Amino acid sequence: MTAITIDGVARSFGAVRAVDNVSVFVRDGEFFTLLGPSGCGKTTLLRMVAGFCELDAGRILFGDARIDTLPPHRRNTGMVFQNYAVFPNLTVGGNVAYGLRARKVGRDDIRSRVDRALKLVQLDGYGERWPHQLSGGQLQRVAIARAVVIEPHVLLLDEPLSNLDAKLRVEMRGEIRRLQKLLGITVLYVTHDQEEALAISDRVAVMRAGRVEQVADPRAIYEAPETAFVASFVGTANLLEGVVRNHDGDRMEVVFGGGVIHVRAAKANPGDKVVLSVRPEALRLLAANETPPAGWATLAGTLGEIEYLGPVTRFSVTLADGSALHLMAFAPPASPGRVITYDPQRVVVVGAVP
Amino acid sequence: MRRVLARHTFPLAVGAIAALFLGLFFLLPLIKVFGASVLDATGGGFTLANYINVLSNPFFLNGLANSLVIAGTAAALAVLVGVPFAFCLARLPIGGKPALLALAALPLVLPSFVSAYALVLLFGRSGVVTGALQALGIPFDSLYGAKGIVTVYTLTLYPDVALPVIAAFKSVDASVEEAAQNLGASPGRVLRTVTLPLVMPSILAGGLLVFIEGLENFGVPFVLAEDRPILSVEAYKLFVGETTDNPASAGVLGVLLVVCTVAALLIQRGVVGRRRYATGTRRSAPAMAASPALRRLGAVYCWALVGAALLPFAAVVVISFMQFKGPVLHGGFSLDNFTELFQRSYRPLTNTLMLATLAACGATLIGVPIGYIVTRHRSRLSALIDIVATSPFAVAGTVLGIGLVMAYSSGFLILTGTWLIMVLAYMVRKLPFSVRSTGAILHQIDPSIEEASINLGVSPALTFVRITVPLMMGGIVGGFVLTFVTIASELSATVVLYSGSWTTMTVAMFQALEGTSAGIAAAAATVLIVCTVLPVALVYRLLRRHELSMM
Repeated sequence: MTAITIDGVARSFGAVRAVDNVSVFVRDGEFFTLLGPSGCGKTTLLRMVAGFCELDAGRILFGDARIDTLPPHRRNTGMVFQNYAVFPNLTVGGNVAYGLRARKVGRDDIRSRVDRALKLVQLDGYGERWPHQLSGGQLQRVAIARAVVIEPHVLLLDEPLSNLDAKLRVEMRGEIRRLQKLLGITVLYVTHDQEEALAISDRVAVMRAGRVEQVADPRAIYEAPETAFVASFVGTANLLEGVVRNHDGDRMEVVFGGGVIHVRAAKANPGDKVVLSVRPEALRLLAANETPPAGWATLAGTLGEIEYLGPVTRFSVTLADGSALHLMAFAPPASPGRVITYDPQRVVVVGAVP
Repeated sequence: MRRVLARHTFPLAVGAIAALFLGLFFLLPLIKVFGASVLDATGGGFTLANYINVLSNPFFLNGLANSLVIAGTAAALAVLVGVPFAFCLARLPIGGKPALLALAALPLVLPSFVSAYALVLLFGRSGVVTGALQALGIPFDSLYGAKGIVTVYTLTLYPDVALPVIAAFKSVDASVEEAAQNLGASPGRVLRTVTLPLVMPSILAGGLLVFIEGLENFGVPFVLAEDRPILSVEAYKLFVGETTDNPASAGVLGVLLVVCTVAALLIQRGVVGRRRYATGTRRSAPAMAASPALRRLGAVYCWALVGAALLPFAAVVVISFMQFKGPVLHGGFSLDNFTELFQRSYRPLTNTLMLATLAACGATLIGVPIGYIVTRHRSRLSALIDIVATSPFAVAGTVLGIGLVMAYSSGFLILTGTWLIMVLAYMVRKLPFSVRSTGAILHQIDPSIEEASINLGVSPALTFVRITVPLMMGGIVGGFVLTFVTIASELSATVVLYSGSWTTMTVAMFQALEGTSAGIAAAAATVLIVCTVLPVALVYRLLRRHELSMM
């Protein structure tokens, strides 16, 4: 059970800065996720922690001990690979025992620990089977059992669910989370799936082009994104560029192409150009005779495309300048309303216009 | 720095061993050959006189032209017969494909000069078929010279083209062809404008292989060329010295041979290198819906080609059980030829088995680690090792043999005349195959399997022993057997390096050919065929998985 300090770490491949001066602190026992599109450096960062990728600069510590100078086989990390990497020449039991044998654990001890680990991933009785007899989900469980049985300082998971089908993916992520809480182990988890990241993590680091854009808990990532990239990568967002007009301490007004929008106050002065993020579900189309809730502001527009998705409906409203806002509601709009209402508290400034 | 060194101990150690081995037994002999070609008679001064002597001699110029024309024609013919064969096997629904594939690969492990010798027995001046034809009054010109050599090369080397091209035809993504058809191209047009261009790199690579093997082959021209000059044979004759030994001129011919193969390699790289035809997701095209007539035609063609290639070997086996009087076939079956062969000595057989086993072990022990670091540890060092370790295939066996004798008949290490120098030559010659086949096996093993082992606390070196080697074992055994059989039938380096007590089966046959004991030669050829076919048949199931990608 260990905290991970990643301190000013960098790595270039040719001219590409795969990881560019990244510093992250992962707390003891925390489920920490690296989230980002492919090529953002998240896997490289994970492989640096495991020792499979050398650092150009910076250092990595487990607790107070520096580990980036250790060879990978001395770091005591448990890694779960995207393609499972279960040894095809060993049985399930042999796979799980592999790391214990390397640690010269006694034979009886190995047997009981392997049994316990297999029970933990609900594979009890599978010890004698061969990997080619197992399904993808079962192989995944073997990989996890093999990684946790050695009681690693940290558990590293590299897109472990991306080879599973959608339903199994949801089931397995719940199980990984349950296991992590049960063992109280520190987890560093890599994924490009934002829903997965939000569902499973204590905290998330959103990465782009080798840099960390924001580190926060899932709610803050979604509801208070600090950059336009985070806002648009995690969920969908209406990104609006405008100029700050009034600033009264509590709220401010921002003028943009489609009109004036009221925003929760942020560090900005009148005349500043800013980028705003509004989630589709934070906007509501008013029926013809409906009045907005107290404290809510309004915008005028015309109803455009409607997409019925089952549980929710997405639709767009065209504003005065011809640009469109995306909205989401549980029910399709009943009448062709012309007024959008919103809570200014849910409009977030995500950055300055460069 | 210490950290970097520690992390790269394994590749550095392998690199050092590879550098030492290749430096001593490949590069140094080559340098000696080159040195001999540019040194004057005193051995001290630089001179181009040797080159001028050789290149102004019409006999040698003729030899150079003969070698190039024969190898080039053989390559073209091998492509011409090999590509349709590959197409039939990859795309037409014809019966007996596994058998066809296995039989098509067989000529690659069988000694090609045995096929040449069979041609002499059948179509030579006193050949069985020649005699029969002449008795019937049909004029038949015997098969000596360029046409015979080209025929043997085409029949024994077409698998070099056919096998990789089968794999290439299968790896063309079906949807690419479907897209062309969807855009209005007829099946013939699709083949011409999409499929053939996509398999062209494999065709060229196969053709190049035939060209290089045709240039360097010693046994086939030795049997069939008679007095026409061929580079590899002339280099041998000059060096061994039928009249007076002439290392300088032998060196020049050796350098010319190496220059020709390297030039061919560079041209092929230039043509293929600029194109990249990797198609993304792979779904092989299904067997073509061919008309029954076309299907029958394809089947007849494939079986006929495979049969024609193997017929000479079968003929030799049959003939070896017949009675001879000198070079003339007498008729009637007996074991006399074998009795006579083994009455002289069993040594050639035991020598062949022992030397081939030792050399195959050596090539595997050095080649597998080299193949491993070349595939898994990508760096400038490993790229360099890759180039050096695979370049022996561009050097004729005769030239390597001459170089080894030049380097190790005096000085700090004297090896000439020993069994060790033969084993070393075989190891160098088979190293490219060992390195390449290891690479092919490793591409089937996901690197994360090894990372998982290291992550669980097992050092890289132990991981190699505990995880990688067991997973590679099937491929390594298959590669070992192929190395063994191709060494057993090696002649071009052997003929330069052997000494009396280390006569091999190939040399025994070679000597029988030089004399007039055709029966003993046929018996030796049969023993050789058994030595190569038997091990391959024993591990056939292991080999089947690898032969297409590696040979």
